[in-house]
Amino acid sequence: MKALVVDDAKVVRVSLGRMMKQLGYEVLEAADGAQGEEQMAANPDVDVVMLDWNMPVMNGYDFLVGLRKNPAHAVSPRVIMVTTETGIGQMLKALAAGADEYIMKPFDKDMVMSKLDILGLEYADS
Amino acid sequence: MSMTDREFGYMSTFLLKSSGIVVPKDKMYLLRSRLQPLLRKHKIESLDSLAKAVRSNEMGALAHEVVDAMTTNETLFFRDQYPYEALKTLVFPEIVHSKGVGKGINIWSAASSRGQEAISIMLTALESVPQADRRIHILGTDLSDEALAYATAALYTQMEVQRGMPVKMLVRFFNQEGSNWRIRPELQVMMKFKKGNLVSDQLAGTVRGHGPFDVVFLRNVLIYFTVEERKRVIDRIAANMIKGGYLITGATEVAQGVRSQWEMVSFKNKRLWKLL
Repeated sequence: MKALVVDDAKVVRVSLGRMMKQLGYEVLEAADGAQGEEQMAANPDVDVVMLDWNMPVMNGYDFLVGLRKNPAHAVSPRVIMVTTETGIGQMLKALAAGADEYIMKPFDKDMVMSKLDILGLEYADS
Repeated sequence: MSMTDREFGYMSTFLLKSSGIVVPKDKMYLLRSRLQPLLRKHKIESLDSLAKAVRSNEMGALAHEVVDAMTTNETLFFRDQYPYEALKTLVFPEIVHSKGVGKGINIWSAASSRGQEAISIMLTALESVPQADRRIHILGTDLSDEALAYATAALYTQMEVQRGMPVKMLVRFFNQEGSNWRIRPELQVMMKFKKGNLVSDQLAGTVRGHGPFDVVFLRNVLIYFTVEERKRVIDRIAANMIKGGYLITGATEVAQGVRSQWEMVSFKNKRLWKLL
């Protein structure tokens, strides 16, 4: 199981990355959408992307739109937005662009597990 | 923080007679963890002092708050998932088929806590029962006044709505109010919440006018009762259900009454109970 954490804040990449590792995932990191695209090109078998919205160079929304345009990634990987954007308008916009779930920061491990459950994604429950 | 044997004995007896909850000595940590916020709130220095205060006025507000704190479970939406899959694919289709289109379907969330279970049942019905908004009537009962007020308001924090609630349902069935989320008012009318004590013989009066029930959720509650009390609770619930109705317990709990008879129905290796 492979997860890609895309967030410009290192502290989030580390904490979310640690949670995903504890849940049995191999974790890749990217600090913006452009790096995220590079990671996806090199690792097309990623199962889930944990995606921040506001980032420099390329934001999470533009990354998501680009990802879903690729027929190989129309459905997989599953994308969970992890963001401080908490307005319902932003949530609807992300869903329309192909996001599968949405986490409003702050978050904890239970919340991440709950979202993986909803998407039917496996994890090690330790 | 420990308690003297005398005060622990008093507190466990008080909880048993007031709410039916059993707190054996090896579960003393439950008292500590559940009652700690009350000690802080009322600036009470120890559990012993709290027990003495309750003893001095068992009908008072503080005693009430102790029962509330011990009976309110933190809960989440769509807990364990399988009960809602069972509703969607097995229970609701069977009820709709046997009752015919248009007939009302009564559902009881028998330990409704803060309402997440009732909402999860309602949203499942909205996605799988024709004309659910007119046919589905959900009653939630709980011992805790705080939990009932919360469930009636149906206003949840950002943290709460992210525990088990799919985002597609959140944006469809809730209105955003600042950082909180409230179930849409046209759906809220499908649910009613009332104070009800599962160990009281008055229970039938509490639920009168809302049943008989086609489905009852009684999840992760029986564990708090003695074996004999469990049987009486199951019988009280059965007395308010239709024959062929479903009881959905916690995964490890068993529907066994003194008078009532149940058929075990297997769903994805989990057990549901059908009233014979």
